[in-house]
Amino acid sequence: MPEDARPRLQAVLQELRRIPDILAVAIARRDGLLIAHALPKSMDPKRIAAMAASIVGTSEMAAEEMGQGGFLQSIVDSVNSKMLATGAGEEAILVTMVRTDANMGLVLISVEKAIQTIATILEETSGEAKEVAT
Amino acid sequence: MTDVWQELQEAIEELSHVSDIKAAAVVRRDGLVITHTLPDGVDPKIVAAMTAAIVGTSEMATLQLAQGRFTRAIIESDEGKLLSTGAGEEALLVTLVYSDANLGLVLMAMEKTAKRVEEILALEVVS
Amino acid sequence: MQAPEEIRPGRVSTGIQVLDDRLGGGFPRSSTLLLFSDKPTEKRLFAETFAVQGAKSGETTLYVDFYRLPSLARNDLLRFGNFPKDRLVLVDAISSQLMVESPEKYRIEDVSSLSSIAETVITAIEELRPSRLVIDSMEFLADRFPQDDVLREWKRIIEAAKGVGCVTCFLFINWTYHERELQVIQAMSDFLVEFRSSMRGGIIRNSMRITEMGSGGLKTNWIPYTFKDLIGVTVYFPRILVTGPFNAGKSTVVRSLAERAISIDRLGTTVAFDYGNVSLSGIEAEIFGTPGQERFEFIFKIFAREVSGVLLVVDATRPEDFERAKYMLELIGERIPYVVLANKSDLPGALPVDQVAHKMDLPEGSPVMPTVATENKGLREALLILAEMIIGVR
Repeated sequence: MPEDARPRLQAVLQELRRIPDILAVAIARRDGLLIAHALPKSMDPKRIAAMAASIVGTSEMAAEEMGQGGFLQSIVDSVNSKMLATGAGEEAILVTMVRTDANMGLVLISVEKAIQTIATILEETSGEAKEVAT
Repeated sequence: MTDVWQELQEAIEELSHVSDIKAAAVVRRDGLVITHTLPDGVDPKIVAAMTAAIVGTSEMATLQLAQGRFTRAIIESDEGKLLSTGAGEEALLVTLVYSDANLGLVLMAMEKTAKRVEEILALEVVS
Repeated sequence: MQAPEEIRPGRVSTGIQVLDDRLGGGFPRSSTLLLFSDKPTEKRLFAETFAVQGAKSGETTLYVDFYRLPSLARNDLLRFGNFPKDRLVLVDAISSQLMVESPEKYRIEDVSSLSSIAETVITAIEELRPSRLVIDSMEFLADRFPQDDVLREWKRIIEAAKGVGCVTCFLFINWTYHERELQVIQAMSDFLVEFRSSMRGGIIRNSMRITEMGSGGLKTNWIPYTFKDLIGVTVYFPRILVTGPFNAGKSTVVRSLAERAISIDRLGTTVAFDYGNVSLSGIEAEIFGTPGQERFEFIFKIFAREVSGVLLVVDATRPEDFERAKYMLELIGERIPYVVLANKSDLPGALPVDQVAHKMDLPEGSPVMPTVATENKGLREALLILAEMIIGVR
């Protein structure tokens, strides 16, 4: 990926981390490779990227198989937190860890904004890559 | 042995009658169908495999997060939600609900049914 | 409709091709099969499949049913598919008890007389000269008549059947008999077909095992089976895993084998699994493809359970990946039967199978098949070889 994209993506993640309810975030490629993250050291970002990609891919297939329209997001609840995963453009997904009692309205608005930005950044950079190639 | 299946089927049918719940299924954690009330046109084997993958992966992801044990997975789509939760060591409970469902009520009903499923399966005897 | 059994003179087909293959074409003419289980239901399905198979093949089956009116039995047997109705002859043991007229040619007028029962059956055998005889069941007789008398008549029926080259199928539950009698009964039989059922995690698994009596005879493993509408008993593998290194062609294998398959893949790689259902040669198998990338190994923890067998797919042009392939086999477990698919065998640089086996350091006799998954070449053969390994034979 063009070097330009990474700092911009990192900025998006840092922006998200400013929200107190958001504990950790990561951007993964849909094939499970890690793109960028702002996760605490205790979490393995590569594993999270792969698992989130697997969950999103399977959820999208599930939505299709069961005639539920388009996939929106997946939420994995544990006792103390939730892990949200949603598409961020064609190539990526955004993974967000939030507190269980988070203000979901604020979280979702921020996530929505972030995935638009991420999608744009990735589109632009892949566009640039194509230009460079030609 | 057929009693076990019968009881599971009854539990699932009861759950399917809760308003907001379109269909329900009991799935073995390795992705095999135990019983279900899914509509025709939906392949229960595929649903079972997918929900097992989602829950199994979610549980492992939860370990990574170290924020307590996994409780449930919710897949939100345009026209509905898919909810899954554990039902004992061997099984999962899955429901298909309407988009605007009252999740609080649904989750409560699922919790009750999941416990029941766990109890029923605990009684089975290998012949 | 299948060819009449005259074309295979020595053998009588079970209707399950992969079992027939193990049996050298089917059960030998004049042999006696003892169908045996603790519960009544499972073996009846096999007997019915066997009976209907005969009719489907154009030969005559004689069916002695102590529990159902012939009209009801015929109706039940519709589930096993189409067959010429005149080929299945039922001996009516019920009408006389209900004191109604019977349209059947052979009827037992007095079920309280063991000799009357035996005479009717033997007469039918001698007149019809059927290729198959099913008696459902021996415990009906064991419940009502002295054991020695039952054993005696049983022997007479067997003799009559052997005399016309008929394969006889007795259904039997053992709880009324002692060890000594059981040995006598087993000694009168050529094949023992046992049935058992178990439940694990809410799912019932039915399986059967075929043992040829006498030392050195054929013996299969416990073979899982299921019932398929319009077909009957079918060998069933609840999970065949298709695994192997990244890009070996696993998803292609699943999609080529199954009529309808799903693949959860993104940007060229499987991120969760592939799944399809395959039917061929009397087998039904659920096949699951795993991802090949290391980062998705967690999937094995979910799906590598109750695995009947493995198709290990390797790219025959990439021996550097063979080590990884073996590792993935270990993730699934030891002692699970597997067949190696040397895929992309059409590409330049593809190693021949003996070299693949050598470089993979496989145990002696491990099957390696050359395949081209994109053209569905070699896949069905590989699956059948795997099926035979799972079924087993001594």
